[in-house]
Amino acid sequence: MTGDVGTQLLRRMAQTTTIVAFALLAASALTVAYAQISPLAAMRQPPATGLVGWILTEQSMFYRALSRLIREAKTDGTAYWSLIGISFIYGIFHAAGPGHGKAVISSYLVANEETWRRGIALSFASALLQAMTAIVIVSVAAGLIGATAKMMGDTVRVVEIVGYSLIALLGARLLWVKGRGFLRALRAVGEEHAGHAHHVRHDHHGHTHAHGHEHTHAHGHAHDRDEEDGLLPWGHAHGPEPDELAGPGGWRRGLSAIVAVGLRPCSGAIIVLVFALAQGLFLAGVASTFVMGLGTAITVAAIATIAVGARTAAKRVASTRAGYGTLILRGIEVGAAAVVMAFGALLLTGYMASERMGMF
Amino acid sequence: MLYRCIPFIAGCVFLFAAADRADAHPHVWVTMTEELLYAPDGSVAGVRHAWTFDDMFSAFATQGVAQKTKGEFTREELAPLAKVNVESLKQYAYFTYARLDGKRRRDAFVEPIDYYLDFDPKETVLTLHFTLPFKQPVKAKTLEVEVYDPEFFIDFGFAEKDPVRLVSAPAQCTVSIQKPSDGNFPSSLRLDQAFQTSEANIGMGANFANKISVNCP
Repeated sequence: MTGDVGTQLLRRMAQTTTIVAFALLAASALTVAYAQISPLAAMRQPPATGLVGWILTEQSMFYRALSRLIREAKTDGTAYWSLIGISFIYGIFHAAGPGHGKAVISSYLVANEETWRRGIALSFASALLQAMTAIVIVSVAAGLIGATAKMMGDTVRVVEIVGYSLIALLGARLLWVKGRGFLRALRAVGEEHAGHAHHVRHDHHGHTHAHGHEHTHAHGHAHDRDEEDGLLPWGHAHGPEPDELAGPGGWRRGLSAIVAVGLRPCSGAIIVLVFALAQGLFLAGVASTFVMGLGTAITVAAIATIAVGARTAAKRVASTRAGYGTLILRGIEVGAAAVVMAFGALLLTGYMASERMGMF
Repeated sequence: MLYRCIPFIAGCVFLFAAADRADAHPHVWVTMTEELLYAPDGSVAGVRHAWTFDDMFSAFATQGVAQKTKGEFTREELAPLAKVNVESLKQYAYFTYARLDGKRRRDAFVEPIDYYLDFDPKETVLTLHFTLPFKQPVKAKTLEVEVYDPEFFIDFGFAEKDPVRLVSAPAQCTVSIQKPSDGNFPSSLRLDQAFQTSEANIGMGANFANKISVNCP
């Protein structure tokens, strides 16, 4: 008996803590957006301290090693292997920076209730697209037309506006779909409460007993309603909503996210490619860019998997809490959708820092 | 069990927060040599920058620039690029911030003059030279000039040899430099402090800048 109470207490504590942790997670995601528009963001970042400083120092070192290795590859074939290796590691570190869509992809996955498999596929596809846009821009602009750095910067600017608009649109669409889901869950909770009040009034038995009994009933009732509504019932819920169903058209759905995130090429890749072109080793630059993209994809996929995992955990918690659980889950989705839209809007209006193209 | 995933979620929160801190990283490296130009009356007339870019960015910047001899660029060939450079630098306030007698001065400078680019064919690097004149010649006991990119896309650093020179300065003036790695800031920032935007923190960015301090008692 006591053990039971203890377990229950622990479970309740666990639930509360998880919800608080989620609020924190959402808050920290917002802080990411906020920190980039706050006055503090206008300050130089603190240099090398701790883990973050170490990452910064390492990636600067790798980036600078790239130029030396491309140079060496001209005369020494073995330098190619080092170039590939360094590009890969640089990509992994580099993805921690802006412009690689880790926040957008993570929020998209959370909002759209995607699986971790899709999260990984999405990360890799968008990183691949990112590498390809960089290669296409440089080979056409610099290789064929002989465009200047300023012209390439302007091209990237146009591509970036399209990409950011797509992110904002994607977020708006998610917000619309998920907002409706949230409202439905809100209504379901309201109805459950109405039922609760009704039962108590008509119950002539002992209060404690009646309460427990009635509660189970309300649970079952809302449960049925939910399935009628096509909403996620707690407990054995899985899969997206009907209007969001993956099915064979699932890839087309993911495509918008891939394009939105992967369109904007990485400034670093463009600079490396132009440098390789100037050295007469364009292919070394192309190889380096693809491998860099692979490294980037790994980091983004890891973060995306964590986001999906966190969402699954939230769902498990929600499944134990009738009514409100679904409401919280829907709330998280709406929040994540809003974050995607906010990212797009902030990037578009230039309030949020993206990568610059040098100083042109 | 449910509570097993709590450390996991706490980890996520930490990761998100940590990732946030790592968001700025340079793609351009500048090695700078600075001169402070003094007028005959002992006031400071302007700052003369010489910024040498890293080889990768130099290749990027010179892409598409017409050249007579391959692997070389004359000052004339680079003149249009130099113009683009200084014009673009305006929106970044030339990455140059002045502080007179301890007071931060916005728009202390007028548009740059005497600008040009030169190319070192051996190192394949570009150097941008330009002078930023003060709006009014400055007579201050202490003058501090900071050079840094707030977004940290460009990593500015002083040259190893003779990074700063005072040109025709009064004899009693002394100059010293401070690098971002000089460690006059707390070695570890607490997360909650890093996110604060209180007035007390606004000046903090200055600690991470390359600072030139001139003292003319």
